[in-house]
Amino acid sequence: MTSVEEKNTFFRDLQDNEELMTEILGGSVDLVKRRITFHEHKNVQALCYYTDGLADVTHIEQFISDLLYKGNLLLQHATLPTDNPLTLLKEHMLSSASFQVIKEVGQAVDGILSGVAVLILDGSNDVFLIQTKGWEKRGVDEPQTEQVVRGPRDGFTESIRTNTALVRRRIRDPKLRIEQMTVGKRSKTDVNIAYIGDIVKEGLVEEVKKRINDINIDAILESGYIEELIEDAPRSPFTTVQSTERPDKVASSLLEGRVAIFVDNTPFVLVVPSFFWQFLQASDDYYSRWMTGSFFRAIRYLAFVLSLTLTSIYVMLVSFHQEMIPTQLILTIASGREVVPFPVLLEALLMETAFELMREAGLRMPKPVGQAVSIVGSLVIGQAAVQAGIVSPFMVIIVALTGIASFAIPNYAASFSIRLIRFPLLIAAGMLGLLGFSAMFALLAIHALTLRSFGESYLAPATPFQPKDQKDSIIRFPWWKMQARPMGVTGDEKRVGDNQFPEPPNTDPYSDEAGNRDEDNQKGRDQSKRKKSRHIIKLKGDDEE
Amino acid sequence: MKRQASWSLLLIMILLVTGCAGKRELNELALVMAVGIDKGEGENAFKVTAQIARPADARGQTGAPSGQTGEPIYTIVGQGESLFDAIRDLSSISSRNVFWAHNQVIVISEELAKEGISQVIDFFTRNPELRMRTWIVITPEEASTLVSTVTGLELIPGEAVNKLFRYGKISTVAPNTQILDVQAAYLSQSSQPIMARVTLKEVMISNKKPEKGPTIKQVDLAGAGVFKEDRLVGILKPEETRVLMLFTEGLQSGVVTTACKDKPERTIGVELRDQMFEVTPHLKDGQISFTAQLDAYAMVVEAGCPFTIDDQKQVAELEKAIEKELKKEIDTTVDKLQKEYKTDVIELGKVFQNEYPGYWNQISDNWAEVFPTVDIKAFVNVEITDSVLLWEETNSGKKENSAD
Amino acid sequence: MKVQISNGMFFALIINMIYAKAIGVTQGSMAREIGGDIWISTLIATVQGTVIMSLVIFVIRRMPEGDLIDQSERLFGKWFGKFVALITFIFFLAAFGPIMSTFIFHLKDYFLPEAPILLFICAAFLIGTYAIFFGLEVIARMALIGVFSIIALNILLMLGTLPEFDIRELRPTFQMGFIKTVWASRHHNADWAMATIMAGIILPMVGDKKSWGKMGFAGIAYGMVFVIMWPILEAGVLSPETAAQYIVSCMQMARSAQIGYFVHRYEMIMVAFFALSMLTQIMMSLLCASVAMQKILGLKDYRKVIIPTALILSTFGYWINFNKNRAVDFLEGWWVYISVGVAVVLPMMILVLGFFFKKKLKKKIVAEEAK
Repeated sequence: MTSVEEKNTFFRDLQDNEELMTEILGGSVDLVKRRITFHEHKNVQALCYYTDGLADVTHIEQFISDLLYKGNLLLQHATLPTDNPLTLLKEHMLSSASFQVIKEVGQAVDGILSGVAVLILDGSNDVFLIQTKGWEKRGVDEPQTEQVVRGPRDGFTESIRTNTALVRRRIRDPKLRIEQMTVGKRSKTDVNIAYIGDIVKEGLVEEVKKRINDINIDAILESGYIEELIEDAPRSPFTTVQSTERPDKVASSLLEGRVAIFVDNTPFVLVVPSFFWQFLQASDDYYSRWMTGSFFRAIRYLAFVLSLTLTSIYVMLVSFHQEMIPTQLILTIASGREVVPFPVLLEALLMETAFELMREAGLRMPKPVGQAVSIVGSLVIGQAAVQAGIVSPFMVIIVALTGIASFAIPNYAASFSIRLIRFPLLIAAGMLGLLGFSAMFALLAIHALTLRSFGESYLAPATPFQPKDQKDSIIRFPWWKMQARPMGVTGDEKRVGDNQFPEPPNTDPYSDEAGNRDEDNQKGRDQSKRKKSRHIIKLKGDDEE
Repeated sequence: MKRQASWSLLLIMILLVTGCAGKRELNELALVMAVGIDKGEGENAFKVTAQIARPADARGQTGAPSGQTGEPIYTIVGQGESLFDAIRDLSSISSRNVFWAHNQVIVISEELAKEGISQVIDFFTRNPELRMRTWIVITPEEASTLVSTVTGLELIPGEAVNKLFRYGKISTVAPNTQILDVQAAYLSQSSQPIMARVTLKEVMISNKKPEKGPTIKQVDLAGAGVFKEDRLVGILKPEETRVLMLFTEGLQSGVVTTACKDKPERTIGVELRDQMFEVTPHLKDGQISFTAQLDAYAMVVEAGCPFTIDDQKQVAELEKAIEKELKKEIDTTVDKLQKEYKTDVIELGKVFQNEYPGYWNQISDNWAEVFPTVDIKAFVNVEITDSVLLWEETNSGKKENSAD
Repeated sequence: MKVQISNGMFFALIINMIYAKAIGVTQGSMAREIGGDIWISTLIATVQGTVIMSLVIFVIRRMPEGDLIDQSERLFGKWFGKFVALITFIFFLAAFGPIMSTFIFHLKDYFLPEAPILLFICAAFLIGTYAIFFGLEVIARMALIGVFSIIALNILLMLGTLPEFDIRELRPTFQMGFIKTVWASRHHNADWAMATIMAGIILPMVGDKKSWGKMGFAGIAYGMVFVIMWPILEAGVLSPETAAQYIVSCMQMARSAQIGYFVHRYEMIMVAFFALSMLTQIMMSLLCASVAMQKILGLKDYRKVIIPTALILSTFGYWINFNKNRAVDFLEGWWVYISVGVAVVLPMMILVLGFFFKKKLKKKIVAEEAK
């Protein structure tokens, strides 16, 4: 082994090289070694290594037959015996795009393991790398976790190249940079960092690279590994790194000056820095009309509040502050609870656990079975448990509402973290009533306030309050209003030009502008500016009168 | 960081362990819907009657089938030296904790009210479990009888009385007195408390024996009791209460019925709306007087004799008649309060204080003696503006025959 | 390491610092003295508060790197600095009593009458220490949310009580005479004193020096707008006599608020909004006390003294509030004199002494810069 480690470059002799490669690669069945002989008389030999399944075999066959043909021709016509056959080959084969000459052993081994074919010729310490990567992969599919009604249907796949291409197709800007990194001592996973050079916040890319470089781990199997190793608040239930399956989401994040981290073998791409409110925003908001978009967003904010607090508030009201419930309602609740043997807190925990169980079971089961689970679950929990007097009908409604609200949160990671922090809130509210609820809520709020994601406050732009960024927080302003990129972007701060408010040409026959229609059309967008200035002049005139 | 985390965890644990303080499960509570307060047996004793709802019977089956008694309320009586004592007595009877926050109405017997209710006011405003928006009424009956009477369409009588107050705006026969108002008036230097009055009346006809006429007693909300400080000193009839409410609540609407000019046996009814009522104090040579001006628009809602709004003369006459009627009502009521009950429940002191604070400070201490002597003049101005849907007079089509 | 907060946060902190106690407890105290004129008294107090606040801003501006304690230390050396720090500590120690009273009177008396007082002290201790461990910025951001919740609370209350409003209760003005009205303003002055001394401690950490004055006044003005609604409504809706009757009159009003006939019994929502401002007050007084403690002991970082300081303050808060008579007597008597006394005398003293020893101060600054 020592010789292998010391050895950086290939030998001149093919025999030595063969031994070297055997020593490094061992006898894995998926590693294929093929011996090629050029020109029987001169007996020039070559070895070709590749990994079965990762490399495209037809491509290799094609290449080898090409090589044999050309090699034979070359060797026949080689006048000078001193001519390096390799140099000759190289010169003649360079027409092929996927062809590279290297010297280092390590590079060759990495190449073989990532699907490249390596050709070692006798009598040369240069070896060929032939780009023959080609393996079975899933096609571009609709994202499973983030679906939209209106918007592109393509989602990321497990192949990093496909993923970067999906983003590149959306932003054909030379300033969109995608940088290569490799993480994992054994897995050697490709990690790509994408950003738009003149928009991204200063220092952010360096910070991301630094954090990724600092990772020391044997293997990266999913972007979750990276997320956990680079996030700012590792002990927090909140996710400070956004993961998404949607290329359009990544593209829009890049345009807002953020950095995307692509990881090979997973369709989940990480985006940093991320903000809490972002998790409540769906792509639909931006694709549907702004009023509907804002309305749906408002519904989602409501869903967030409900899923976080509804159960706790119910428990708190029913077991501590009965005076806060309207009389009519409390009689109804009381009649439902008449035979329930448990305290409300226990009842709530019971139902929440049952709900989580059903959700988890439905998720893990194959789809047809999953449906059965949900039918049985909802029947048992919804009907039988109430009939049996174990839970009150009101509690079923509350827990179901909470569950549905948590499903309305578009980001799964965020939905899960809200699900988690709901439990301390519930227990505190059930133990200490309003005091417990408000104290726990305050603790959670303080905790969330201290969080940062790659230098940005997690709860921005709500707090610290950034008036300029409010155009994309509670209400999604129409695009002709949302001119600036979010704060913290360096350079090119405007994303929408001036006077984008669409105005059709004036067709009102009674307007004095009707005659100037053609002129207006020609002047295009200047129209509105002109109109405004005329308006001002008129006002001045009035004053004079 | 780690130490801090464990610290906070420890503290949370301590909090949680000491927790559950003040926790009461909903199904461990006896929700009081109405409470009656009577004089108890013996000196200074109170008798407290609590009307408690049985949720399962009041709402029917909502969850698992539970045993039902068919009786939505459960009324129990407690006695004690003090109100608190009497309420403690209740909890030794009730299987669940007596819970007061949903109490809708406090009924005080007139017998007790005549002796003074300051203790009741104090108790019901001091206790955090009791709401300030609870109705407070007096009754000539035993409060315990009234509280245990099933009344109204609601299953729980407390709710029925609550709705009686809320939707009683149409009849305007009793003031909307909540414990909040009574407390404020009692504490105030310049006004006196009033309370709505309820009685039991045989007005409901039994479905089983309709031929016997109304035999079942129901709670009737009408009239008001006027207080001097904390003692009940007099009762106002419903029509007098209407005048009282003009002074205290800025009553917007009302109904006046007056006899027809031509046929005195028939009547015309008008509904008053957008009433504007203003009391102006005057001070002249140390002599206090008030003028009360009532402006209202009226709508003819019923005519026993032919009436059209088109006939200006007829309209003017009717307006006069109504004005006279209203003035008489105001004068008699004010007179009764001044001469008979000698208590300023119509907030004249407050009006005067606003206008003449300096002079008020001199007389505030003996306002009670001054009030019966002040002169109050009422002016009424009514304008008939509407005759609802009809324009023509309601006359028999066989006019010629009837005319002869 | 130096923490910076924006001017907007400073503004929010001022509002939160005065709001919680001013709307309920203070109004009750004032109503007991002057009845329906509580709103005039509140206005007068605000004017006085503005004067003290501008004094403090002026003093700090002279030497914008250090707070009141640092400045006095530079003027007369270490021991004088420690003396001022001790006074500040006592101020916030005393302040913690009324603050906890407000917290307990609202939450315990109206929502959890059976829970022990210790529980409320523990909750305040826990939240307070947790928050100030992360420093001023977090509290300041909380205060920003607090301002929004104050607005929401005011709107909710206004919706629920305006129909019951009776202007006659507010008239006539100056019922008890002008002097008495001015004298009663001391109760609200005590609230302003808290904001003032807080400003004296945190001003050096506020970002934009130039707009300190502007933001300070904006804070006072908005604070007044948010607060003044309460005395007017309390007198007009509850009647001054009822307001005087209760320890926490605002809660009584919140309890009787109803929007239409069907939306009532919603004081809990209002208290939830109120709690944010309340907690900000608790955190700030703990923070300022810890900073003072740190300066007394001459430590580099106030984090080390958080727990002992909070323990001292909590013990005091517990002792004061164990007996309601003691609590109310303290917040209407001693606390008013301590707070107004310190808030007026301390900046005034530093200001006057600063004038006399201007040269010395300048020399010191030059010398320090030379270092």
